[in-house]
Amino acid sequence: MMRLRKRWTYRVLIPLALLAVGCVALFFALPSLLIAPASMAKSDVILHGAISKHSAADKYVIDLYRRGVARKIVCVGSQISRDLYPGDYVRESLISQGVPAEDVISLRLPISPCAGASLPRIVEFVKANGWHSALYVTHPEDSRYSDSLARRFFEREGVAFAVSYSPEDREELTRDWRRTHWKTQRMVGEAMIIALDRFYSECR
Amino acid sequence: MFIVFVCLSAVYFLTPVLLNKAAEGLIREDSLVKADAIVALAGDNRCNREKTAAELWRQGWGDYVVVSGMAYAWGFHTGEAARRYVMSLGVPGEKIFIISEALNTRAEARALDDLMRERGWNSAIVVTAAFHSRRATYTIERAAPGRSFYSSPVPAGSPEWTPHAWWSRREDVYVTVREFASWANTLVGGWQ
Repeated sequence: MMRLRKRWTYRVLIPLALLAVGCVALFFALPSLLIAPASMAKSDVILHGAISKHSAADKYVIDLYRRGVARKIVCVGSQISRDLYPGDYVRESLISQGVPAEDVISLRLPISPCAGASLPRIVEFVKANGWHSALYVTHPEDSRYSDSLARRFFEREGVAFAVSYSPEDREELTRDWRRTHWKTQRMVGEAMIIALDRFYSECR
Repeated sequence: MFIVFVCLSAVYFLTPVLLNKAAEGLIREDSLVKADAIVALAGDNRCNREKTAAELWRQGWGDYVVVSGMAYAWGFHTGEAARRYVMSLGVPGEKIFIISEALNTRAEARALDDLMRERGWNSAIVVTAAFHSRRATYTIERAAPGRSFYSSPVPAGSPEWTPHAWWSRREDVYVTVREFASWANTLVGGWQ
């Protein structure tokens, strides 16, 4: 009886220990799993979606624009407080830094439960403007997922798609990320988003 | 065979009950008591927290409204936007205070403690999302010992979060699981 109990204890403990080791390994591997190589593909439009407190992507977007990677910039985002769309402010900021006003647009998106729910609207906007290719500038931790998820939505509609991010953002995010609250929060949050989206059809 | 059937049935019928109970456990709702201030915590892009705080102020439950937010490099402040919204709901500007740099609940709790000390306030009603209410009030009580806090969350079932059958909605799953993880982080004193 004792031997049987011991055997069952091992049968339960070993998978649990393996699961714990797997989770820890996954946690440490998050930067390499989430961050894809940045693309600089020449496109009709840059979709600027890296708008957040800790991002320095504006400089990168302006640099891409000046190098002729794209001739239009669309600042994409939903409201973060009552009637407060950061994209509107980013547009003003880009204009104040020398980007012609006619080349920068702010696209206000409704609040949606996941990226997959708002992507059709972005694709529709890109197509309505007659653009055939888009370079999406996002947060580094979102790059690999966007590259697979958003690419499907865009390419289904015949729009070429590539993902990029600011090298400065990547450097900042990956520096000492396990000890910094907002960095860990963003990495783990992204991993959760990727896992959850698979279970909900509206997000895939 | 019968035992296996009974066990599987029990798991099938009890799991939803336990998951609902776990989500309801995140909510703290106290009886309302007149307080010095009503605090709407940051993080609601629909501003239902601020709307609830303004309603409580109009009903006379607090003398002041405190809103919370962050300054962004592009020249806007989410706290300022929240303040404008609360003013549009009838609360005079001089009755509204802003907590800045609300990076997370603990930072907000420290900033609130500083503001309450500065203003000589001893009590506050905490308004946040229902899922966040227990942890927020717990964190604030620990950051500001000796003061009284009462939780009055935005009613559960608002667009922000619904505890009933939360696993069936993508947004609610994310929020609920993240809140459990945040609780763990708070209890072990992890990331600040």
